[in-house]
Amino acid sequence: MKVHVRIKRFNPEKDRRPYWADYEVPTDPFDRVLDVLHYIKWNLDGTLALRRSCAHGICGSDAMLINGRNRLACKVLVKDLGPRITVEPLRGLPVIKDLVVDMEPFFSKYRQVMPWLVNDEPPPVRERLQSPEERARIDDTTKCILCAVCTTACPIFWGNGEFLGPAALVAAHRFIFDSRDRAAPERLAILAERSGAFKCRTVFNCTDACPQGIEITKAIQDLKRAIVLSRT
Amino acid sequence: MYRGGPGMLAWALHRLTGVAVLVFLLLHIVETSMLLYGPEAYNHALALYKQPWFKPLEFLLVAAVVYHAGNGLVVMVLDLFPHATRHYRTLFWVGAVAYAVVMVPVAVIMLRPLVAP
Amino acid sequence: METRVRPNGWEWLSWLYMRVSAVLLLLLVLGHLYIMHVVNSTDTIDFAFVAQRLATPFWRIYDLLILVLALSHGLNGLRGIVNDYTRPGGGWRLAWNVALWTVGLVFTLLGALVLFSFDPTAFARR
Repeated sequence: MKVHVRIKRFNPEKDRRPYWADYEVPTDPFDRVLDVLHYIKWNLDGTLALRRSCAHGICGSDAMLINGRNRLACKVLVKDLGPRITVEPLRGLPVIKDLVVDMEPFFSKYRQVMPWLVNDEPPPVRERLQSPEERARIDDTTKCILCAVCTTACPIFWGNGEFLGPAALVAAHRFIFDSRDRAAPERLAILAERSGAFKCRTVFNCTDACPQGIEITKAIQDLKRAIVLSRT
Repeated sequence: MYRGGPGMLAWALHRLTGVAVLVFLLLHIVETSMLLYGPEAYNHALALYKQPWFKPLEFLLVAAVVYHAGNGLVVMVLDLFPHATRHYRTLFWVGAVAYAVVMVPVAVIMLRPLVAP
Repeated sequence: METRVRPNGWEWLSWLYMRVSAVLLLLLVLGHLYIMHVVNSTDTIDFAFVAQRLATPFWRIYDLLILVLALSHGLNGLRGIVNDYTRPGGGWRLAWNVALWTVGLVFTLLGALVLFSFDPTAFARR
């Protein structure tokens, strides 16, 4: 089947503003949007810029706005979108070229929540053990692949970029509720800031969009509750 | 347009109704302060509300307050029970139905004078 | 390391206040709306009606509570919106915050002035 693809393109060296480019692409219903973009880049217009690496939904490189929703281009099939496909770069991050956005603001938020294990106690002989129940507490939030789909689907993040965003909060959740970690109070203090957890207005765009199916809004609600309970 | 779910609509409406009600609250305080200038001044201020075109606005005000209250309740349920986030869509639709159930009689009572004076 | 925000957040208190005031407002405002717009109507409300209603301290306290809670809840909510769309540390945010505090102060005082000093008998005697 033939699909009509509209791509929001922008080359800062040539264009004053982004513009829509249209392509007709022959596809198989079981092609992924990534295959469609490859077809365009390899056969129609080699100047199209996009990011992708593993192409199998785990590296998190090809997040983009497809038919009005944030998704990974490698995880959505043409048959589920119909004959018209619209592709835009992620919102809320500066566009470098076409579908490639500058991820630095996103990763800078991520680093603010100290996404590493903090534990100064002398390590045991073998390893820091964790019970299955303790591990289950962070099962969901460890699944994050940092694709930025959630953060760039959040209308609060679009506002002024001040919000830490769902992805950074998921990372914070993963360490705060890790039984081996000791820096929960410090992280909770960071999340209690104006830019932190309480900027979440339970819009659910993040949860709806997450390609890993993480219950992001629930994780953020857990964090709000932990902050309030730790201070009252 | 980002094609968000019901949560995005609920959030946008919550903000819209919140600002609308705040604007009315300020107007309401000014108009009530006319009490200090006696019956003529106050009744004159209230004449604004007795204009026929104000009836639909008054109904919209009540609709906005009830929406803001109802959605606020949903938000608080999500705050008190993080697990409720799993059932957000159900919660949203239950809320929408409850809203309709409350607002239909209110609409009949408040807007009837317009249709049959 | 990134520049770390100083952990002195009180935003959680503002968040909590929105919930607490919301619960109180839920009861107070819905009661107020029901009495004023459903049982009565703006067609019948006039000076005499309000004078009679405010004759009892109960309704003065009721209205004072609504005044304080609704204004603070509404303006704090608007502050949340302002914080979403203005640059942190920028002039617009500062200007908005000054405006919100000014409006809050002036309107609380105005409303309280009416509720504390309103005396219908002063006009009846004339």
